[in-house]
Amino acid sequence: MMISLRRMNAILQKDFKDFSRNLAVSTVLIMPIGLGAFYGRGGVNSIEAHYMLINLAFVMIATFVQCCLIAEEKEKNTLRGLMLSPASTTEILGGKSLLTFILTMITVSITAYLADYRPANIGVIVLAFILSSFFYIAVGTLLGLFSKSVMEASVIVMPVVAVFSMGTFLPTFVDQYPFLKMGMYLPNIQLIELAVKVEAGGGFGDVLIELLIILAWTIILCMLTAAIYRKRMVD
Amino acid sequence: MDNIIEVKGLAKVFGNQTAIEGLNFHVKKGEIFGFLGPSGSGKTTTIKILTGQVTPTNGTAVVFNQSVSQLKKPEFRSRFGVLTDNSGLYERLSIHDNLKLYCELYNIPYSKIDEVLDTVNLKKEKNKRVSTLSKGMAQRVTLARALIHEPELLFLDEPTSALDPTNSLHIHEGLRALNAKGTTIFLTTHDMQEAELLCDRVAFLNKGSIQLLDTPDKLKKRYSDSTITVELMTEEKVVLPAGTEGADRLFEYMNTNQVVTIHSNEPTLGEIFVQVTGRKLA
Repeated sequence: MMISLRRMNAILQKDFKDFSRNLAVSTVLIMPIGLGAFYGRGGVNSIEAHYMLINLAFVMIATFVQCCLIAEEKEKNTLRGLMLSPASTTEILGGKSLLTFILTMITVSITAYLADYRPANIGVIVLAFILSSFFYIAVGTLLGLFSKSVMEASVIVMPVVAVFSMGTFLPTFVDQYPFLKMGMYLPNIQLIELAVKVEAGGGFGDVLIELLIILAWTIILCMLTAAIYRKRMVD
Repeated sequence: MDNIIEVKGLAKVFGNQTAIEGLNFHVKKGEIFGFLGPSGSGKTTTIKILTGQVTPTNGTAVVFNQSVSQLKKPEFRSRFGVLTDNSGLYERLSIHDNLKLYCELYNIPYSKIDEVLDTVNLKKEKNKRVSTLSKGMAQRVTLARALIHEPELLFLDEPTSALDPTNSLHIHEGLRALNAKGTTIFLTTHDMQEAELLCDRVAFLNKGSIQLLDTPDKLKKRYSDSTITVELMTEEKVVLPAGTEGADRLFEYMNTNQVVTIHSNEPTLGEIFVQVTGRKLA
């Protein structure tokens, strides 16, 4: 399968221009950065607190923004135009995810820096952040494909925002409520477990399981999103 | 002449509502084919099936000698263009930026933008944001987007419905020029005058099935009552029947220099549609 970088870049450039003029969605970037600055000044320094913020940044940018971008394309019938063009599913979804990926990585990095989070092994953490961003973008794309409008998207995405940001504190309640153990395999929790191991001096080999679990979530979500997208191509 | 579209027994049912049933027609390569019918008659559903956006319930539809299910493949999508009433534009971007995206998607040079904007009479406005355009201007941009890659086959769903007569005329000229270059056009319209001006053949669609299909001239002849109207010097209009009686009276009027104009009483396509279906087109 040939992928045209020219087409993906064209969609990225279009999205960037459109996003920069869409204040309703672009101002969302400020929230995690502002919280990061607030945390940093407050001297909050536990790994759970850092990762509540980082997971919130992921879900607000990668999921919320992506969901709104896709939902708007559906609402304004512009997604149909892309679907009827020679661009393939990979080019359209890849192109539409590129802007969100760049914004997510920048926002998460700034947020983590302002919150005074300095990982012991930056390589492992960057890899985990990249994998996590793919997962959250796939969730955002999927929810966007199910939404009929931006308004609907912003409502649908809220439970997901709650689960993946506040869900950071899930391990605290696992002993009390054993049924929550299943939630320990969620990618946001795996990211925290990975970060804890990294802070304890762990390298790639030590966090392989966590990385694989996040990767598995990402692959499943990407496949599901591609299947739903193809279904949406036909009324 | 080869057929670019072949449809046999095509049907689509949404839930318990039949959108189209038993459609049989073909579109020849290089012709302008008019698909005429009132709202809800199944025109848009047919276009959506022919462009691979809707799966038919029954029957076969072949475009470019391929089943329409194959049209989802990117290599076929560059061969056709679509303008439907719900074709969207990026409202925060300029006309130029909207078309630039499609130049990249279809791998064509940016120089085509000015060319196609000239066709839709919007060259001067190319830097305007789409959100500031009137409905008619936005429709012309959407049309420009459908034309930009000079497709082999163009589906147009009511392309001039929101346009004033001057711009409609401009679009008609552009479509004729495109057709002269070899583009086949599948056109749905309410505008009977537009159909008569542009179409080589027309099909009348009513309640999901085709009632009539032929060239506008043949249809008019078929439904003509063979009478003629003679306008006399006295401003009186006389309808003369076909045959000897009519010929004798016409000869008499002409012999006495009473005739100002003579018109054959062919029905318009709109009148034929009403006669055949009992429904108005609007």
